[in-house]
Amino acid sequence: MIFMKQLNVHRFTRILMACHTDRQRRERIYASKILEMTWAFVLLSVLFSCKPEPQPSYQPTPYELSQPSYFPSKNNIPADNPMSVEGVALGRKLFYDPRLSGRDGTDGIRSCSSCHHQEHNFEFGASTNTHHAMLPLINLAWNRTGLGWNGGVVTLEDMVLAAVTSPVEINADTNQVVKYLQKTDDYPALFEKAFGSHDITFINIERAIAQFVRSLVSADSKFDHYLRGEEQLTEDELAGYELFCTEEGADCFHCHGGGGLALMTTNLFYNNGLDNEFNDPEDRSAITGSHWDRGAYKAPTLRNIAVSSPYMHNGRFTTLDEVIDFYSEGVKDSETINPLMHHVTDGGVQLTDLEKAQLKAFLNTLTDEKFLNNPDYSKPNH
Amino acid sequence: MLLVAMAFVSCKKPAGYGDLSINIGYSVNGKPLITDSLCYHNEAGNEFMITEIQWFISQIELQDERGDWFRLDHKEVEFPFQYTTDWVFYIDTNIPESQVLEIAPIPIGTYKTLRFVFGINEEDNQTGLFTDPPESEMFWPDVLGGGYHYMKLNGRFVNTEGELASLNVHLGIGQNANHTEFYQNYFTVELPLNLTVTENAENQLNLCMVVDNWFRNPNLYDFNVYGSAIMQNQAAQQALKENGKDVFRIGKTADNENNTSMKKENRLAEGFKETMQKAAPKPHFWSWKNVKARWEQLKSAS
Repeated sequence: MIFMKQLNVHRFTRILMACHTDRQRRERIYASKILEMTWAFVLLSVLFSCKPEPQPSYQPTPYELSQPSYFPSKNNIPADNPMSVEGVALGRKLFYDPRLSGRDGTDGIRSCSSCHHQEHNFEFGASTNTHHAMLPLINLAWNRTGLGWNGGVVTLEDMVLAAVTSPVEINADTNQVVKYLQKTDDYPALFEKAFGSHDITFINIERAIAQFVRSLVSADSKFDHYLRGEEQLTEDELAGYELFCTEEGADCFHCHGGGGLALMTTNLFYNNGLDNEFNDPEDRSAITGSHWDRGAYKAPTLRNIAVSSPYMHNGRFTTLDEVIDFYSEGVKDSETINPLMHHVTDGGVQLTDLEKAQLKAFLNTLTDEKFLNNPDYSKPNH
Repeated sequence: MLLVAMAFVSCKKPAGYGDLSINIGYSVNGKPLITDSLCYHNEAGNEFMITEIQWFISQIELQDERGDWFRLDHKEVEFPFQYTTDWVFYIDTNIPESQVLEIAPIPIGTYKTLRFVFGINEEDNQTGLFTDPPESEMFWPDVLGGGYHYMKLNGRFVNTEGELASLNVHLGIGQNANHTEFYQNYFTVELPLNLTVTENAENQLNLCMVVDNWFRNPNLYDFNVYGSAIMQNQAAQQALKENGKDVFRIGKTADNENNTSMKKENRLAEGFKETMQKAAPKPHFWSWKNVKARWEQLKSAS
């Protein structure tokens, strides 16, 4: 991998040396900017020297999101919910605590972790009674297109509210949740540490859980090791990667990324030819109002895809083999199928049995065992 | 008063420099592009529609009357260092704001020539150049040469079987069958112009992609041969590279080639505004009936 930003100080110098007129232009611009900045500093000093900014009484410890250099540089952390060590820890505790339902938990219902299982990429690992199958809760700090299969929920904070109140999920009353947690021995102090107040609000519950979910980073699979030059893929895995990344192969990369788009998804929405009749009122068109989005759903990340069954928005397939068979021979044409489904007129990409096995071998390299067993993401002991 | 003074100081351009923006437009058969409408025919007789055009333009340069070249960078150039991404611009018909390239201040004066690279040149086109979307979504797999697509033009066309097939004009680095040799398919475009940049004006330049020219002259580009999956087809890449030489025009559309004067009163004419608006992705309802009817017609015929 070549990261140009790290190299460009030298490039900058080279360019200045090579281009006389550019150099003159830039020197003038920069000299002017330095002058402006000096003026601005002086003015700011005058303006604010008599009135120092009041400091909040409590500042939680900033949380450094861990990510490889090939992940996006821009994340979706809201300005009003910066990540903190204390906020992530609180969110983790809430995520696993059935008292988030506003009940004592003895009815078996329910925390986020009742359905979001770490070993299944924070999905359920089986069919659920929710409208759509689940999507993984990983690398969402870099998601920019809304949450859920149709992208209808804008932020993770909103998603917490939706999940807590949904009749088929936690089915709780937010006021009851706040009252219940406020009376516990442990939570008020934890909210104090995370947000500077022991008075619990549902907004801060949303913020804490969203912080924890943003901390769920999966970037240590065998494929990551390959990208970082730490481990070579086997011949079959490499052949599968080539199939993954070529139009004459399995043609996965336009929607599901690869080395140059290592989240393994564009996070965009596509009609992938699963159906040719569309009766789901909650596909992407429900959000955009566009007929062209009929049958379109978010392309999920393929990281940890081997442990993320069932597959597709309606959980239609239970094995990777079924998914590969679908893309090979089962693609259905329709008015709104995405043009990137190049091989739709052939019914799919027409892979041989060997190619299917190679593609599956590559997909298995996306499994991040370290993430799936990371104790920092598991149920806390206290 | 101090705040006003600070705002004035921080926004001020260096003396002798002017702002510039480049407005990108598209025309097909002499008219502004209409996306998601099966209403076009190319020179080979293919009936087709375009859903989106996503592409890179880079190393944009203007030549002044003395013959000196000035490279145009993003206005938000990262001070004080420069990155390759400062001179690579991503343009996407799904992102209206990307159709106006905001340029860092350039010296006032008169410019006679516009030169740019369609796509990204070999030195800059490296995997990892962009890690953030939407640019990163243009990545070109390493096994095919790496870097980024120069362009994705997506749509659908009616093939010889009467089916609506995928149209994917994807340009980037070509390669031989074994992926052991790679071919750079970016190319340089040079266009004469008469642009006067003044210090206080909102100087603008209109650049039009004549989409239908991708598919003719010198090579007749038949979608039944090269309609989709051309990333591994250097013959198709080469044909497009050769056809691309006359795809770009200064002006709002191909049928108004005299719009080379960049005086303020001539800029961003109403027709060009219309083009920009039609490039916006939503809503699609107005063209849906068109395709729906055609789809039904094709299904009943087959």
